[in-house]
Amino acid sequence: MLQRTYAWVRAVDDVSFDVHPGETLGIVGESGCGKSTLARLVLRLIEPDAGTLTFAGEDVRAARPPRMKRLRRDMQLVFQDPYASLNPRLTIEDAVAFSLLVHGRPRAEARERARALLGRVGLDPRLYGRRYAHELSGGQRQRVNIARALVLDPKLLVLDEPVSALDKSVQAQVLNLLLELKRERALTYVFISHDLNVIEYVSSRVLVMYLGEVVEMGTAEALAQSPRHPYTQALFASAPTMDPDRRMDRPPITGDPPNPIDPPSGCRFRTRCAFAMPHCADAPPPLRAVGPDHAVACYLYEATPAPTTAAGR
Amino acid sequence: MAIGAVGGVGPEEATGRLAHAGDSRPPGPEIVPMSYWRTVRWRLARDRTTLLAAGVLVLIVLSAVLAPWLAPYDPTAGSIRLRLAPVGAPGHVLGTDEQGRDMLSRLLWGGRMTLVAGLTPVVVALVVGAALGVLAGYVGGLTGTLVMRTMDIFYAFPAVLLAIAISGALGPGLPNTLISLSIVFIPRVVRVAESATVQVKGLEYIAAARASGSGVGPIVRHHLLANVLGPILVFASTQVSLSMILAAGLSFLGLGVTPPAAEWGLMLNTLRQSIYVNAIVPALPGLAIFVTSMAFNLLSDGLRDAMEIRA
Repeated sequence: MLQRTYAWVRAVDDVSFDVHPGETLGIVGESGCGKSTLARLVLRLIEPDAGTLTFAGEDVRAARPPRMKRLRRDMQLVFQDPYASLNPRLTIEDAVAFSLLVHGRPRAEARERARALLGRVGLDPRLYGRRYAHELSGGQRQRVNIARALVLDPKLLVLDEPVSALDKSVQAQVLNLLLELKRERALTYVFISHDLNVIEYVSSRVLVMYLGEVVEMGTAEALAQSPRHPYTQALFASAPTMDPDRRMDRPPITGDPPNPIDPPSGCRFRTRCAFAMPHCADAPPPLRAVGPDHAVACYLYEATPAPTTAAGR
Repeated sequence: MAIGAVGGVGPEEATGRLAHAGDSRPPGPEIVPMSYWRTVRWRLARDRTTLLAAGVLVLIVLSAVLAPWLAPYDPTAGSIRLRLAPVGAPGHVLGTDEQGRDMLSRLLWGGRMTLVAGLTPVVVALVVGAALGVLAGYVGGLTGTLVMRTMDIFYAFPAVLLAIAISGALGPGLPNTLISLSIVFIPRVVRVAESATVQVKGLEYIAAARASGSGVGPIVRHHLLANVLGPILVFASTQVSLSMILAAGLSFLGLGVTPPAAEWGLMLNTLRQSIYVNAIVPALPGLAIFVTSMAFNLLSDGLRDAMEIRA
């Protein structure tokens, strides 16, 4: 009895989605709903207990180490915490060049490409290349993170809350840099955030998560104009807005999410849902199409039309 | 820079402060800030206490190394007529011990033994402990549990008791003292190494390195070791003085170096009966132990401060 398992958390449960080449898929949900776990699952940094992961037609989970190493060049991750994500003992050009060295590029070439890329993300390599992460600001570090993720010329970039640790003004700069880079390099983004304003700004399609499950999925416009799931409606209603007519007096949902170790039966949102019905507790609602490229997991849409009032308050 | 507030200019100001002046300035010469180790050296060079401690240590080490040439007498040759001569006695600057042996010679020769007994176990523990700790921390799982629980068994005993028990079982003599003290210090280093490794392993730059497709080797070499060796080294340096005191203690108890060889702890033991005859001479080996261990402690404090990463 040397080791103990306290409890298992189903951080991500029954989540399926496709990312199309060239799009930006936004993933939104409150803290602790499994967004970061999902990001690490997508990149196979943690192994899922079950499920499939396919990249460009290839089964990623079945890839043996040499093949996996090749695949990793095509998918990279930008982390949330600009402080913990850079090695304090490496200069930033070495931090960026490390990935190239891993893939067998000669040292001089790796350094040259790292410096060129640092320049592209707005950090003059002649001023910053030999600096250490702790000498840079949060926004500058996040630029280094982006350069590191791009240095292998990936096709897919998973961005795990890339701007949430930054000041508002720096957020905008970094977001615009990300949009420019996406256009320039024909990248595909999976953009994870808890900030609906950011998600709306960058995404073409949006996936809303609650407690490890997808509750709604659709194009950014469809979700913004007619959010269907009570949780999505609440999220939109609680997003800060500049429009005085859209401001609300009461928070649309209150309380904390339930304990993910022991989630509610059936629909996981029912404990905080204003529209909960008795049979919500029986089984989790399946994702059901409610429009073109718009699906929702809620029993409210089984037959009857949607209550569209909650968001428009 | 925290150091700038204390006085003097920080390395930032000294080299690359201009880099923050703005991105729009025309490209000038490349700015090369100080490397990490240069910064550490720069800070050490400005820390008087640490420099003084280091200076004292250099003197002690030199005197021990050069003992065969520096010592005026044979450290084991006594004289019945000259027992317990006071400090300043003609021909014997630091007096003589209870068998009439020259104290200066014995202190110089004794320093060799004491330093070897203080440093060797820590160096052995540093190498073995860091390897085991990093392994346990990085691999984790069953391997980690086995390593750590084994270390806990040793850790459960107070250091002195464990050293006495192992030395008692192995018998007296310097090699056995070194073995028993190494066993005392390995679990301590393993603990520090393991906790530092677990902490660093969870950081996102390790995940980023894994996402780049890197194998375990380069990750451990470039990302892990560089960030855990500092704290391990600093911890080990704090243990040198303890190791010296334990070694001296074992000799004092008759479990370490055997007479007539000179060793500070042993000298303290044999001279203690003479303390009412001549109080100063018996205090000398104690003073030597105190000064040396103090110097090691101050040095490791300074090292810790200098190696800290400051934003």
